[in-house]
Amino acid sequence: MQKYISKQNLNTLLDTMIAEGTRVVAPCLNAGIPLYEPIKSASEMVTELLPRRSSKEAFFPVCEDIMSYAKEGQHVSLKDIDPSRFQETVLVGVRPCDAAAIPVLDAVFSWDYKDEFFLERRKKTTIIGLACTDADDACFCSAVGLSPGETKGSDLFLTPLEGGGYACETFSDKGEALITSHKELFSEQTKAKALPLAEPQTEKIDLKKVKAWLDGHFEDPLWDCIAVRCVGCGACAFVCPACHCFDIVDEGTEKAGKRRKSWDACGFWKFTHHASGHNPRNLQPKRYRNRIMHKFKYYDDKFGQTLCSGCGRCVRICPVGIDIAAIVEEISKK
Amino acid sequence: MTQPIDTSIYIAITEAIRDEAKRLLLEGQVSAVIGYAGARRKGSAQPVIISQAEDAAKLIFSPASVNNLALYLTKAKKEIPKNGKIGIVVKGCDLKAIVGLMGESQLKREELYLIGVPCAGVLASTAQPSTGLTAETIAPKCTECNAHLPAGCDYVPNVQLPAPLQLEEKYIAEITRLEALTPVERWAYWKEQFAKCIKCYACRQVCPFCFCEQCLCDRNKPQMVESTPRPAGNTAWHIVRAMHLAGRCAGCAECERVCPMDIPLNLLNRKMAKELKELYAYEAGFEVNDKGPLSTFDEKDDQSFIK
Amino acid sequence: MCNNNKNIYLPYLATVADVIDETPDVRTLRLVFQDEQLIESFAYRAGQFAEYSAFGAGESTFCIASSPTRKGYIECCFRSVGRVTEELRRLEIGDTMGVRGPYGNSYPIEEFYGKNIVFVAGGIALPPLRTLIWNCLDLRDKFGEITIVYGARTEADLVYKRELNEWQERKDVRLVKTVDPGGNGPEWDGRVGFVPTILGETAPAAVNTIALVCGPPIMIKFTLPVLEKLGFSDEQVYTTLENRMKCGLGKCGRCNVGNVYVCKDGPVFTAKQVKAMPMEF
Repeated sequence: MQKYISKQNLNTLLDTMIAEGTRVVAPCLNAGIPLYEPIKSASEMVTELLPRRSSKEAFFPVCEDIMSYAKEGQHVSLKDIDPSRFQETVLVGVRPCDAAAIPVLDAVFSWDYKDEFFLERRKKTTIIGLACTDADDACFCSAVGLSPGETKGSDLFLTPLEGGGYACETFSDKGEALITSHKELFSEQTKAKALPLAEPQTEKIDLKKVKAWLDGHFEDPLWDCIAVRCVGCGACAFVCPACHCFDIVDEGTEKAGKRRKSWDACGFWKFTHHASGHNPRNLQPKRYRNRIMHKFKYYDDKFGQTLCSGCGRCVRICPVGIDIAAIVEEISKK
Repeated sequence: MTQPIDTSIYIAITEAIRDEAKRLLLEGQVSAVIGYAGARRKGSAQPVIISQAEDAAKLIFSPASVNNLALYLTKAKKEIPKNGKIGIVVKGCDLKAIVGLMGESQLKREELYLIGVPCAGVLASTAQPSTGLTAETIAPKCTECNAHLPAGCDYVPNVQLPAPLQLEEKYIAEITRLEALTPVERWAYWKEQFAKCIKCYACRQVCPFCFCEQCLCDRNKPQMVESTPRPAGNTAWHIVRAMHLAGRCAGCAECERVCPMDIPLNLLNRKMAKELKELYAYEAGFEVNDKGPLSTFDEKDDQSFIK
Repeated sequence: MCNNNKNIYLPYLATVADVIDETPDVRTLRLVFQDEQLIESFAYRAGQFAEYSAFGAGESTFCIASSPTRKGYIECCFRSVGRVTEELRRLEIGDTMGVRGPYGNSYPIEEFYGKNIVFVAGGIALPPLRTLIWNCLDLRDKFGEITIVYGARTEADLVYKRELNEWQERKDVRLVKTVDPGGNGPEWDGRVGFVPTILGETAPAAVNTIALVCGPPIMIKFTLPVLEKLGFSDEQVYTTLENRMKCGLGKCGRCNVGNVYVCKDGPVFTAKQVKAMPMEF
C-alpha cells in the first residue's frame, strides 16, 4: 500500500495514538541527548539528530526486571513479570540502519528457547521507518549492503518529500493496519519528488569475502594490530543496534529483590572471566576479535545474517577511534 | 561568532614528532613510541603504538589528537609490552597524569622518553574531527588550560605557541552555577545526569588513574556497587569514582570526552580539585609527590568536618 | 507455577534435601522440586547442565551430577569460589533454591551400548562424569567393561569418596584412583601419579571402547595424546567444556568458543570437535 501523509497529519496520527493509550517511541531529547524514548506528544519527536543509542532498546531495554523473589525463612516465593509491561507500541522515526537490525535480532531471541521479553515487544510493536537524509563520514550502511532508503525491518516506511510530507509505503500487515485504522489522515500518493537521501561515502564491501577470511584467521597478527589500543569499555556494544549480549544479576536485600537482565559487552574482561580466575579471552585483542567474529562470521554461521547495519555509532563513540568500517574493508581486501 | 583558534603550528609539530620518533627508534633509544596517527574519517586521529622507524611517518598532531596516551603506560593495559624505554607524545594535560602516576610508583621517569607538544587546544567530543578549532569547538578543558607548554620533557618541538585566547572557563563557570543552587536543586541536577549512565565504563577504561587490578565495581564479594545501569548503582559508581580520583585527577577530562551519554564527569573531578586546593593548597599533576593530601595526615589539616 | 510459564528465565523452586561435603570446599546438594508434578516430569539426560539460583546472589552453572536413572531428586556439586557458590554453600537442609534447566546436549549413551567405557576424571571434574557412571552402572548389562581412572591433587581433594569405595568393591567396575605425588597420606591404597600417566599404565584397550575425559584443561591436554597412543580415535573420546554462562539458552553471548555455543551445542563434545575449535576455553 502506498499513501501520502503530511507532516501535520503525522503529528496528529501520533498524538491520536498516544491519546488512545498506545505507547509511542520516537527519537526525542532526554537531558539534551537524542534517544529513542516514549513521547507524550508528537512535538517531542526530533528526527534531525541520529539518536545516541539505537532503537533496539524498544525491545531489549538497557536493564529490565525478569522476576522478583521474596524469602521468608526457608521459603522463597517468585513473582513472574507482569505481562502488561509489554504495551502496544508504535516505534516511529526509526533510521533505516536501526530498523534493519531489528529483524536480525529476531534470530537469536527466538532460536529454540523463545525470549518473550524481546518477542512479546516485537509482536506488539509497529515500526515506522524514516528514510535517512543526513549521513556523516562515520556512516557505512552502504558498505554492509543497506542504504539510506532501506525498508528492511519497517512495517511502514516514510520517505520525506520535497515540499513537505512523506510518501508512505507498507511492508507488513501491521503497517497496513495502522493506515487502515487512521485512513482519514492519509491520502493518495502525490507526484512530489523525494528529498535527496543521504550519501554515505563508503563502497559496498563483499561480506562473503570478509567471512571467508575470518573463517581461516582466528589467529592473525591483525587482531593485535587493531585491538592493542582498545580500552575494553562497552561503549561500542551499547550504542550498537545489533549487539545483544546481556548479563543476569540479582539485586536486592537478603529478604527480597529482583532478578535483572542488563546489557553486557564482550569487550569487558569480566564478560568471560570464570570465578576460578581462568579467562578464555584474557586479553583485549581476543575480546575485540570476538566482536568482529560475532558480527561477520559467527552470527552468519548460526543464522545466515550479519550483525552490523553500518550505523557508524561505534565509530563515532569509540574512545580510541577504532573504526569497524575500516577494519572490515581492510579484511575484504586481504 | 566563532572565534578561530590558530593551530598552524601543528604542522611543524607533526614534522618534529616524526623526526624525533624516527631518530629514537633508529638509534634504539626506545622500544616503541606511543603517538597519534590519522584514520579513515576526515581529520581524525587515533592512538598508535609504533616500533619501526619507518612507521614514524604515520605520526601526526592535530586538533583531533584528543586522547591522553598516558593510559597506555599503565599496568591496566596488559597488552602493551613494557620492555625498555618507551617514547610517548604528551600534551601538557597528559603530562600531569604521567607526573601523578610517577608519584604513585606506577611509572619510572627513566623508562620514559617524553615528547612534549606545545598545544593550543584540541576538539570537544561534540565536534566532528574534520572541524577547525574555534572558541566553540574547543574541548572545555582547554578553556582553562594552565599547561599549554609541557614542562620537563625530553624533547619539545621548537615552535612559537601563539598567545592563547581568553576563553570563558567552562568548568569554573559551571561549578559556580551549581554551587549557587540549593542542595535539593543540585541533587536533582546530578540525579538527572547519573540517570543517563549505561555502565559502559568508558570513563573508567580511559582514565590513567583507573589502573586497579580489579575495580571495586567489578567485585561481587561483597557487591559494593550494583552493577546494573539503574539509579542506585549509577550514583554509587560515579561517586566512588570521583572520590577515588580526588587529589589524583589533574583534569585530562578523558572520562567526560568519551562518555556516550554526555555526563559531565570532569565537572565532578574539577569540583574535587577545587576543594583540595582550598583545603590543602594542593594541585595535582605539577610535581611528583609520593603522598597526596588524602593519603597523608597532618595535624594542621582542616578538621572542621568533625562536628 | 513455573511449569507452563513463558518466561524462560524463571527458575523452578527446589528444596535442599541433603547436604554432603565432598572436600573442605566442594559440596553436593541434593534437591527436590517443590512442585510435585515436576518431581516426576523433570526429564534430563546425563551430560546436561542447569542454572542454579541462590536468590539474592544470582545464578551459577553446573552439570546435573545425579543420574537420570535415579528418580525423585537431582544433585549438583560445586566448589565455593564465587558469590553465588558461596551463597549456595550457606544453604541448609530445607532451604529453597532455584533451578533452570535441563540445558545443553548430552552424552549419546545409546550409542555406547555394547561398548567398553573408560572414564577419566581429575579433581572437581568427576561430577559431569558421575552422572553417566551411575547411568551406565544402573544399566550395567548394556555395556562391556567399565573402567574409571580418577585422580586429584591430594586424597582430601577426591570427591564422592563413598562412591569411590562402592565402585572399588564392585566386581563389575575397575576403579583406578590416584593422587598427585606428595598428595598421599599413610593410609592411601590407590596409585600415586598424574592422571595421564596412570591412564597410560592402566592401558585400557581401545577396541570397541569409548573414553570420557573431564578435568582441568592441563589434564585434558596431556590425556588426549595418551589415549591416541592407546589407539583411541578422536571420535571415540568425549569431553565437556565449561565456559562461563549466564542464560544457558543461547542468548547472552558469553560461552562461545568460536562459533560454537557451549550452552546449546555442548557441553558434551567429541575430541574431534574440540580439536576443530579455536583455543578459547
